[in-house]
Amino acid sequence: MASDTRMIDEHVGELLSGYIDGELTQQDRQRVEVHCDACATCSKERDELMALRSDMGKLKLSTIGEDTWRENMNDVAVKATRGIGWLLFGGGILAVAGFGLFAFIFSEQVSTTEKLIAGAIYGGLAILFISVLRQRLIERKTDKYKDVEI
Amino acid sequence: MNNMDMSDMRQELAQLGGGAHALATQILGNADDAADAVHDAFATVLARPSAFDDEKGALKPWFLRVVRNRCIDMMRRRRISDTDVEEIVATTPNPEEALQIDQRSLAIRRALAVISGDKREVIILRDFLDLSYAEIAKVLGIAPGTVMSRIHRARLALKEALDNDGK
Repeated sequence: MASDTRMIDEHVGELLSGYIDGELTQQDRQRVEVHCDACATCSKERDELMALRSDMGKLKLSTIGEDTWRENMNDVAVKATRGIGWLLFGGGILAVAGFGLFAFIFSEQVSTTEKLIAGAIYGGLAILFISVLRQRLIERKTDKYKDVEI
Repeated sequence: MNNMDMSDMRQELAQLGGGAHALATQILGNADDAADAVHDAFATVLARPSAFDDEKGALKPWFLRVVRNRCIDMMRRRRISDTDVEEIVATTPNPEEALQIDQRSLAIRRALAVISGDKREVIILRDFLDLSYAEIAKVLGIAPGTVMSRIHRARLALKEALDNDGK
């Protein structure tokens, strides 16, 4: 009897949430039930929290469906493999170009004038390519309509 | 050790996407940033699926932890404060969304925006994503014994915010 009075004085507090969530031991569960039978405050709070929990479960907090996430994941895989592909391709091109440039510069069969003319042509092409690439990258980064599907 | 088949993992991750997005939205306060966070988490997980050990627990809490960590990184980088998140989360849904949401749901969404970020997070993990206390402890990296009190405080705060909203 004395212990029942103490329980009502103390209330069961957080055990109510444990009770609602089915996370209590059998002993604590019984304690909450006995207490709520005798305590209108805790009984009311238990019912309110149970209703709140139920309503929370019904919320729609994300509007993105499962199919979209599946596509999103494919996109991740495609992007990753595409990145590896570009890396290998770019690395190969750079290695061949570097080797060719080295052989061309240090070749004794080509005169210095020919080297300068060829250097100007290829150097000019490289500068033009970098310039266009830079412009495209800036446009891509700042274009606010890039995600608009027509 | 990961005994999970890759296609099974992808299937399960796709199912977890919506819940992860909901959690990320509540942390970041913005659905677009949240989608980025989930996308990054997919990329992280798919790049190294062996990091998941199915003998240590289910994929759901592990993936949600990856998403949460990603959100925290984004918040640090963008210096998003809790106040910013409250303002964004409280934003009225667009007309299309509003048609699908009843008044009680709207009130709960407003109340969620009022309570603190850590309370919002724990309540989403339990009441929306239906994680057990042990799983919540893993996602948040806290002692399992503290989960019950956290959830209870969060629920009381949400209830109070709802009561105040109705006045």
